[in-house]
Amino acid sequence: MSVAALTLRFLNRELQNRFAGSFSGGLWALIQPLVQLAVYSFVYVRIFKAQLSGVGAPGYVAFLAAALWPWTAFSEAIVRSTTAVQDNAALIGKVALPREVLVLASVASSFLVHLAGFVAILIVLKLAGQGIAISGLPYAVLLFAPLFVLTLGIALIFSAVQVFVRDLAQALPQLMQLMMFAAPIFYERGLLPVAARGWLDLNPFTFYAESFRAVLLNYGTIDSLHLLIAIVTATVTLLIGHWVFRRLDPHFEDFL
Amino acid sequence: MSAPLVSAQGLGKAYPKVHRNADRLRALARLLFNLGDDGRIDVLRNVDLEIMRGESLGLIGENGAGKSTLLKLITGVLTPSSGSVRVNGTLGALLELGAGFHPDYSGRDNIAMAAALYGLQGAELRDRLPEIIAFADIGDYIDEPVKHYSSGMVVRLGFAVIASLKPDLLVTDEVLAVGDESFQKKCVRWIEDYLAGGGTLILVSHSMYHVQKLCRHACWLRGGEIAMCGDVFDVTQAYLAYHERKSAAVPERVEIARAGHEFSVLGVELNGVDSEQPLLIDFGSTLRIGVRMRSREGRAPVLAIGIVRADGTPVYGVGSDMDGSVPERVGVDEYFGAIEFADMNLLPGSYAVRVHPMDPEGVRLFDTVERAIVVRGASREFGLVRLGHRWLTGAAKNPDER
Repeated sequence: MSVAALTLRFLNRELQNRFAGSFSGGLWALIQPLVQLAVYSFVYVRIFKAQLSGVGAPGYVAFLAAALWPWTAFSEAIVRSTTAVQDNAALIGKVALPREVLVLASVASSFLVHLAGFVAILIVLKLAGQGIAISGLPYAVLLFAPLFVLTLGIALIFSAVQVFVRDLAQALPQLMQLMMFAAPIFYERGLLPVAARGWLDLNPFTFYAESFRAVLLNYGTIDSLHLLIAIVTATVTLLIGHWVFRRLDPHFEDFL
Repeated sequence: MSAPLVSAQGLGKAYPKVHRNADRLRALARLLFNLGDDGRIDVLRNVDLEIMRGESLGLIGENGAGKSTLLKLITGVLTPSSGSVRVNGTLGALLELGAGFHPDYSGRDNIAMAAALYGLQGAELRDRLPEIIAFADIGDYIDEPVKHYSSGMVVRLGFAVIASLKPDLLVTDEVLAVGDESFQKKCVRWIEDYLAGGGTLILVSHSMYHVQKLCRHACWLRGGEIAMCGDVFDVTQAYLAYHERKSAAVPERVEIARAGHEFSVLGVELNGVDSEQPLLIDFGSTLRIGVRMRSREGRAPVLAIGIVRADGTPVYGVGSDMDGSVPERVGVDEYFGAIEFADMNLLPGSYAVRVHPMDPEGVRLFDTVERAIVVRGASREFGLVRLGHRWLTGAAKNPDER
């Protein structure tokens, strides 16, 4: 049985599942982010009057969008895939299959949906006259690669542990919210007190938030050391995730 | 035909005890960091099994005997706690109901998914899809979500997928029981063709009829261990006899203290053997029962002989007085009576012979001694005895109209 074909099959099912029962089907993948963007620009720009200081700073909405969509892909992938094994208990109990496929398909579906939304948003923002560097788009897509690897690693750990300790899925949304505000998504690093700025680097998402802005808005730079650290972190996380998953996999059936 | 298709050595499965939630956390830590075992429940112990290509094996046993666990170990759904199991070929499994179908998706989607799980995809799947749908024969339901199916339809769909895959080894768990009569027949016919074509089958069923019809060998699991393995008829009969004995109300033994009685049994010989062990005889052979009795009055007792099934159902009873026979005197106060049943027509299974001395008038019954007999043979007839019969054909059908 080919793992790739099986993953595609499950991915297909996941995507179908998201939009099953809705009239417009896949169109929601585009409508949702646009509505979300409209809400954010109203709340932050019209009500909070948020704006970035400095010459050549991008508009706040573009600033937010560049980091928020990758975050949404990341956090949704983790929250959804944590229960990927548990949700397929019926299948696992009856058919022998490589269970990593379930997690992989779940993570991939979140990334696909939000990547598509991200591209749509960037195009809309560009048309609206924001300073989006469309030339940076291929780099942005490339940046999704280490992010995906990191997410998959975390998802493998969480989905395996969730089988044993069901509290994880309950606590996860709060944890993700905490992590979101602990990354420079709604704000920029420069707004923090100098002493606190360094701490942001402990959050693995900080690198991605700032890097997406660097390639898409020419706001800030990516330095190669941080890029290297991010790639190593992602790879190590995936290796650990794989190890944990392999280790617990033979016992899933006993605890599901 | 060299390597067996399935081979299991010392196969065992134990489940961890998880009564409290804290146990789950401890189990997680133990598994991750290789700590020692604590409380576990054995569901299967030390099972050795070899199944050759082309063999058909029935697994029988009570609920909770470990049949499904053994199947899941063979299919690789479960990981053994001890020992190992290997399957050298492709495998198709129908475990319990559903075969892993997702309730929210249509039958068609589920077929595609199930086929993909068995490594069938793309063009190959498109070619076989009509065949699968035709076999399942559930009409327009094929495009409805599986949650709207009846349990019979789910089984139809599952069986249809497996049937189209033609795996080297087919493993099914009590699925035939759910389909309706015509679908059961279709499945049985398909399995027979499959076996004739060299397929290998492991069937779990509580229907001895299906097991005897489809399998040549059987294994009886009891309490997680193999109690008996061998020819399907021997094993199923032993298993049924075990159930009969279990469900038999303690037979209404006329337990009268032997000493001090006018008449009592001194010994019983079955085919010349006096032993507490059950006597094995072949269907259609001869059974001789000899009984030594004591009579305190110096009068010859009447010997009553009864044959009952292992659960106590009477089959036949006869007394020596009915046929005008009198037990011989063989010593002081000792009498010997014997009876022969030629061409034993008892159908294969477990029975008991009961012997009783009666007073010479044949009115009062004293003492009872019971001996078990097991009739061996391959027969799918029903009931207790074979009644003489012949099938009528052609001209012989209506003898009156000649």
